Amino acid sequence: MAATAMRYVERRARRARRELLVSACLTSSAFLFLAFMGSATARAQQQALTPVTDQAAVDRGKALLVEQCGFCHGANARGGSGGPDLTRSVIVQEDEGGKQLGAFLRVGRPDRGMPKFDLPDAQMADLAAFLHSAIYLNANRRLYKILDIVVGDPKAGQAYFNGAGRCSSCHSPTGDLKGVGAKYEPTALQGRLLLPRGGRGSGPPSGPLYLEPTAIKVTVTLPSGESASGGLVRLTDFDVILYDTAAGRVRSFLRNGDVPKVVVTDPLQAHVDHLTKWTDTEMHNMTAYLASLK
Amino acid sequence: MTPHRRVKRVLPFVSFVAFVSLASVVALAQIPTDAWPTYHGDYTGRRFSTLKQINTTNVKNLTLAWVYRLNTSRAGAIVGGEGPETPPPGGNTPSVKSTPLMLNGILYFSVPDHVYALDVRTGREIWHYAWKTRGGDHIGNRGVGILGNWLYFLTPDNYFVSLDVATGKERWHHEIANMKREYFSTNAPMVIGRQIIIGVGGDALDIPGYLESRDPESGNLVWRWNTTPRAGEAGAASWPDEDSMAHGGGMPWIPGTYDPELNLYYFGTGNPQPVLAGHSRPGDNLYTCTIVALNPNTGKMVWYYQVTPHDTHDWDAAQTPILIDGEFNGRPRKMVAQASRNGHYFLLDRATGEHLLTSKYLDSLNWTKGINTKGQPAHDPAKDASVPGTLVSPDTNGGTNWPPPSFNPETGLLYFGTRQGFSVMYLTDTDGRPQGWAAAERNVAVVGNALKAVDYKTGQVKWSRPLATGPAGSMGGPMGLLSTSGGLLFGNDGTNNFVAYDASSGKPLWHAGLGATTTNGPQTFMVDGRQLIVVGAGDMLYAFALQP
Repeated sequence: MAATAMRYVERRARRARRELLVSACLTSSAFLFLAFMGSATARAQQQALTPVTDQAAVDRGKALLVEQCGFCHGANARGGSGGPDLTRSVIVQEDEGGKQLGAFLRVGRPDRGMPKFDLPDAQMADLAAFLHSAIYLNANRRLYKILDIVVGDPKAGQAYFNGAGRCSSCHSPTGDLKGVGAKYEPTALQGRLLLPRGGRGSGPPSGPLYLEPTAIKVTVTLPSGESASGGLVRLTDFDVILYDTAAGRVRSFLRNGDVPKVVVTDPLQAHVDHLTKWTDTEMHNMTAYLASLK
Repeated sequence: MTPHRRVKRVLPFVSFVAFVSLASVVALAQIPTDAWPTYHGDYTGRRFSTLKQINTTNVKNLTLAWVYRLNTSRAGAIVGGEGPETPPPGGNTPSVKSTPLMLNGILYFSVPDHVYALDVRTGREIWHYAWKTRGGDHIGNRGVGILGNWLYFLTPDNYFVSLDVATGKERWHHEIANMKREYFSTNAPMVIGRQIIIGVGGDALDIPGYLESRDPESGNLVWRWNTTPRAGEAGAASWPDEDSMAHGGGMPWIPGTYDPELNLYYFGTGNPQPVLAGHSRPGDNLYTCTIVALNPNTGKMVWYYQVTPHDTHDWDAAQTPILIDGEFNGRPRKMVAQASRNGHYFLLDRATGEHLLTSKYLDSLNWTKGINTKGQPAHDPAKDASVPGTLVSPDTNGGTNWPPPSFNPETGLLYFGTRQGFSVMYLTDTDGRPQGWAAAERNVAVVGNALKAVDYKTGQVKWSRPLATGPAGSMGGPMGLLSTSGGLLFGNDGTNNFVAYDASSGKPLWHAGLGATTTNGPQTFMVDGRQLIVVGAGDMLYAFALQP
């Protein structure tokens, strides 16, 4: 466990810069994806807290915390030998710029083993800046950084690719997947492995999703025998809208029961069917294998 | 008849509860035909109306009566609140998630920071109250509560506000939680006797949840029930230590239901904190993700049933606990049912909390070790968020969510919208004391969303109607629903179509393309001998009636 954790730390440092870019990309494409899906339940998170912009004050506050408070409250303020988690403290969370925190610290809680700290106002403000910054980062999950996810066994992944996963029936490491490990960051790669829809990992889609090669397809056949095929825009019980590839435009048809005839096909059906079959280990191994295809 | 008298006839218990007989209170075991006096229309949460002027035969003649577009301008509004004169930037156009109350021909509803009174015959605005916000998450507001001549609602920055029903003028406001701790309030106040029951929300930081009763005259606290125990209290053994339970979340953010005979208030609590990481809180984490029955006069818990022990996927149990009176295993019982966010349906005895039935309604569900002897889905630690990613279905949106379901006692079916999402959940905070969400989620796919009808007695899906499909997969999911004696079920199709389904078969019989997918629970009542159907979609409210 410890060795694995060390590996995370090392790789995290190496990839920190790239990870940041990827997570920004993924966030926006995931957002677009959800927005497009019209998910009424997708939460638009809106914080009450605002970021602390004075990074120098945050850094000074952190040094101060480690030196003055760390022994009891931990070097990251999340609690230590006897002292509670300061990022969860009501006094800290409700504090404004060190004012309330300062008033508290100058008295302390001697009856509960919390000595008083008579720091100058500027240092109180620095301490508060660090704590408020830490709380902001805890609260804002859009800013969470995904760690190193390439921990699987690439050899086992390769065996799965050619064996049980039956990936090789459609894909080839020297063909469509050549260099895929260099093209996509690990999180994007893993997402695409599961379902490579809508330009995932390549930034926000450049146009409508129904124009993507991976879009769900539909064929509509009218009673006259005329038919239209192409990317599905929308299928409901009452209508079907598609991008008619042959006509080069979006067309819509009202539906009345089985008329017109509508046949939906998903070019990624094999990926969709596989969603309920993956074990997490298989997913990690495959991610490691694909990441090795540089 | 004066408006004042009329209100008392509909809500006889509201002003003189001490003198009201049981019989008149029981009246709200069914939605009145000429009013909609609570969030669910009645206390049962069934969202079933006995009206049948509109029915399976004539629903094809349903047509628009009026529309109302939200006006969020402060100009011309009654303005209150503690925030700045200029609204904070970046506010989204609000959606109507509240179910309006309808009393004396007037609809009362809310969106974050705004309350409206509309004439139900014409959709014309009577008054508009605008709250100057200090901030907080403006994700939604479920509506208002009314007792006699006073209206109550909550704001995103956690104020409990009372307005004069007739004029919209503010009587007072009280702060109930601090937004700097990332509390925000979305709940619709529930009026039971002289208790105004409200709850808080917020899951960005590890804060404790609580339900309160407030005095209808002063707004002062009557009782508070903490959703997680404190040291030494019952349930404390389900947490590792004092700090974790005192910061354990469990937000009661959706209004519940009430049985006047048993005098029990039923509601579901939210997920534990930290949200997606459970390693600092081993144990069942009571009373999070739990259906709770408490005495509304005292705020004391009478029984509980936890639908997700030790949740690690944001699957709160806030979904409506629906009161069902009917037969189970050959004998009549008073029951409470929930189609829960975790992908399972639960049926309990509502007098005792005895577990009767659990069934799985979502095919893709992959996160349990099965059902334990108490009927609970058994937590599988292998499906917790992990650093290299864990593929979980449903995703954090759940199999269903807060939008109000419907139970039709004539078909015996419980209706709700479902969503089959798949996400990879990545643990990002590997500290021994993780904070907030502590993990990131990447949505992978949404397939097979459906409107489902479950037989309450067996928990089996009687029919399932696929929702719309788009270029990237299934659309829609959880939706507000209404069923009627006209054999109809009103909901949506995952897109902007408002649909009347045949309640027995799920066959769509009528639809209207609105500007957006419906966002609240549809409702119905008679106005001047005409049955109206009212529904919210985005920033619009629509009323439908039969062609005259």
